[in-house]
Amino acid sequence: MGLVLFYILGTITIVAALGVVTTRNIVYGALFLLVSLSGVAGLFVVLFAEFLALVQLLIYGGAIIIVILFALMLTRETDFSTATEHRRWPFAALVSLALFGLLAGSAIGDSGKYNTYTRTGFGIEDLGVGLFENWAVPFEVASIILLVALIGAIVIGRSGDDEDNADKTGERGEQ
Amino acid sequence: MGIEEAWLIPTYGFIAFGVIALFGRYLPSQGKHLSIIAIVAGFVTFWPVLFDFVHLGVGEHHVPRVWFSAGEFSVGSGMIIDPLTIVMLALVTFVASLVQIYSLGYMRHGHKGHIADDPRIGWYFAVHSLFTAAMLTLILADNLLLLYLAWELVGLCSYLLIGFWWERKAAVNASKKAFITTRVGDVGLLIGILILAADTGTFDISAIIHQVTMGDVSEGKTTLAAFMIFLGAMGKSAQFPLHVWLPDAMEGPTPVSALIHAATMVTAGVFLVARLLPIYEIAESAQMFVAVIGIITALMGATLALVVTDLKRMLAYSTMSHLGFMMLTLGAGGYTAATFHLLMHGLSKAMLFLSAGSIMHSMNEETDMNKMGGLRHRMPITGAAFTIGALSLSGIAPLAAFWSKDEMLLAIKDGLNPVFVGLFLIAVVLSALYMARATYLVFFGPLKPENRAVHESPLLMSLPLVVLAVLSVCAGFIVLPLGGGYEGIGRFLFHGEHGHDFELQPLWTVVSVVLATGGFALGIGLYKSSRSTVDSVRKRFSGVHRTLINRYYMDDIYQWFVDRVVLALGRTVALFDRTIVNDRGVNGTGLAVLGMGKRLRGHVTGLFADYGLVMAAGVTVMVLYIWRRAA
Amino acid sequence: MILTLLDFQILAAALFSLGLYGVLARRSAVMVLMAVELMLNAVNINLVAFSAFRPIPVVTGQVIAIFVITVAAAEVALALAVIMRLYRRRGTVNVDEINLMKG
Repeated sequence: MGLVLFYILGTITIVAALGVVTTRNIVYGALFLLVSLSGVAGLFVVLFAEFLALVQLLIYGGAIIIVILFALMLTRETDFSTATEHRRWPFAALVSLALFGLLAGSAIGDSGKYNTYTRTGFGIEDLGVGLFENWAVPFEVASIILLVALIGAIVIGRSGDDEDNADKTGERGEQ
Repeated sequence: MGIEEAWLIPTYGFIAFGVIALFGRYLPSQGKHLSIIAIVAGFVTFWPVLFDFVHLGVGEHHVPRVWFSAGEFSVGSGMIIDPLTIVMLALVTFVASLVQIYSLGYMRHGHKGHIADDPRIGWYFAVHSLFTAAMLTLILADNLLLLYLAWELVGLCSYLLIGFWWERKAAVNASKKAFITTRVGDVGLLIGILILAADTGTFDISAIIHQVTMGDVSEGKTTLAAFMIFLGAMGKSAQFPLHVWLPDAMEGPTPVSALIHAATMVTAGVFLVARLLPIYEIAESAQMFVAVIGIITALMGATLALVVTDLKRMLAYSTMSHLGFMMLTLGAGGYTAATFHLLMHGLSKAMLFLSAGSIMHSMNEETDMNKMGGLRHRMPITGAAFTIGALSLSGIAPLAAFWSKDEMLLAIKDGLNPVFVGLFLIAVVLSALYMARATYLVFFGPLKPENRAVHESPLLMSLPLVVLAVLSVCAGFIVLPLGGGYEGIGRFLFHGEHGHDFELQPLWTVVSVVLATGGFALGIGLYKSSRSTVDSVRKRFSGVHRTLINRYYMDDIYQWFVDRVVLALGRTVALFDRTIVNDRGVNGTGLAVLGMGKRLRGHVTGLFADYGLVMAAGVTVMVLYIWRRAA
Repeated sequence: MILTLLDFQILAAALFSLGLYGVLARRSAVMVLMAVELMLNAVNINLVAFSAFRPIPVVTGQVIAIFVITVAAAEVALALAVIMRLYRRRGTVNVDEINLMKG
């Protein structure tokens, strides 16, 4: 049962990821990302990490994708004639493939040690205990990070500073 | 006060130079008196040294002192006091004193009745002091390095004094020519010194001579060193072919010519060969070379002196000729005779130059002998002095240079084959001839109307003349044993086991006297008679005459060589330096680096993706490495 | 045939590589950002899998994965703010044209 689910969800995830990195239409890309991340959430369920799956869907699907879509809307390129790939994309493909090979290879090499284990889950209480007892400090730090990011995003993102529009047409201040 | 303090003699001169050069501005008469004091002090100091020397016994004495040392190797700055040194000290201090006193009178120029010192008189005397100091150091030096230092210093002073009136282009050119020509010789001297020092491990003269005579230095090296050192002597003593600077050097003030280019500096070469004579006796081919060059120079100088019309130049060629005699004698092994002649010639020739200066001073710097004539009526003292000097140098008995010429003849006869003797005698005749010619042209014959205002020189100038004239008459007698322990120059100044007594070989003496007197008489006769005789002789030998007038075309040859070879070489080397060394090497290296930098900068595109790619690739490699390591 | 850790590892590796390709080869900054998210998720999969495939499971992997998600959210926010700024400045978010550091 788990196996079948794994393969279905896995395929979906990978195919969607492929779509993210190859599509010409950037909005489609965002949507593909949503599908891929949902697939990941499903995989979490297969791994008996239900809470995490929910968190994944909420955060990624609910917040991050939305924000990305907003950003996409606000940064439309005036022309789409240019290619979507960097001119050195063959090298990138090469490197990626190599890395994949390496990672997979090393995983296979070590697989002998872990073959016998099966997946087991644990209850949400354990997760809660771990999060608020053993990992309390990183938890607090994480909340501070969020605060900082919040403030930072506002500061960086606000319009009305003098530097805007300076390079657009090469002339200072004029539209 | 004894020979230990002999170093004082040059030191006075150095101090005088320093003081006058630095403070001359503030001193009365620019400090010229300081120079006189220094040189007279030197002369005065000479006497105790002489007495102490005699007291200690005539021989070779050393007063060593270490200049600097590095480990086991040391260079000295001590002194050698031997008969040669004593003789040279006497000559230099005495003649220099007289010349400086003479200069007090000479270096004043009068314009329309107002007479004043030469505007740069202080510098003149300063360099004079420096020169004497350097020359004395050269004489006293016991090691070749110090000698070389003094040698160069002397050359420098010569350059400075020849070009003293640098407002005149001729003087500037002459001083350059002198310096460069002697420099060519000096290279040889340095090489020779270094060869000897390298092989013997020391610069000390006595040590070197000892090692060479013991056979510690190979004959090939000894010969080479001897040749090289003689090259330096050739330059300084104006031997063929490095003689070309001497006639031009007459552009300098006449007292300078008297001191430097007659009695002292030009004799440095002779002195050097004499000092190192044991080396030359080992290196026989070098010694023969010395003799050959000597006789060539002697004949060349004599023939050239015969045709020039400039009084000072005639004296210059005469000096060249006599230096040739000295070298020839050294080539024959005649240590005593050559040095003796150095002394006699120095006295007489200095006097001749001073006489010439006397004439020039009252004739508004005129030197053309054809414009003179009958001057003895107006300048009796100068005339008498000049005649005495001329007779002396022609070898007329019993004047000073007669004795030395006789000694030379004997030495050459004993040391070399008859060809040299014959050529020597020819040169003797010629020297009498040109001396007579000059004497007659200048002092005898009718007095030209435009020269009626010519007058005798002031006391400051005439007195040295008289002193030297007296010496020219009687100095020759030091060849004889004069009693009081002094047994003649042959026993005082010799090289080898023991000296020789004065011997009169009647045949040779008669021959030389006859030739000399005959030559002199012939000269007087030729010029006394009407000019047509002289002119017809000139026409018959017109080709020879032209060659002589053009100084055997030597200057032209040198000039051609400089223009074609030296300057061309210089241009080539300059080209090489500009293009290859500078453009390719220096600039090229810089440009290459710049170019490489420019090319390397290309990969700094500023694009994130490129950087990321490289980083990812790097990470992949690292993972691979770690994985393989761990496996 | 049962599910092993290896399967998840290979899956994560593939996702990661795809993400890497997207980061290196895509031209729009937003696309790059999305690819980064893929990479982060691949890491999360690995972490959770490690946490699950043990005789006695531990929470460590999941906890870390939570933190990863948190930081990813913060990072996206900031990155997009920067991208907005960039767009206003240059009129483009084409990474090929953002080369002020050139030379």
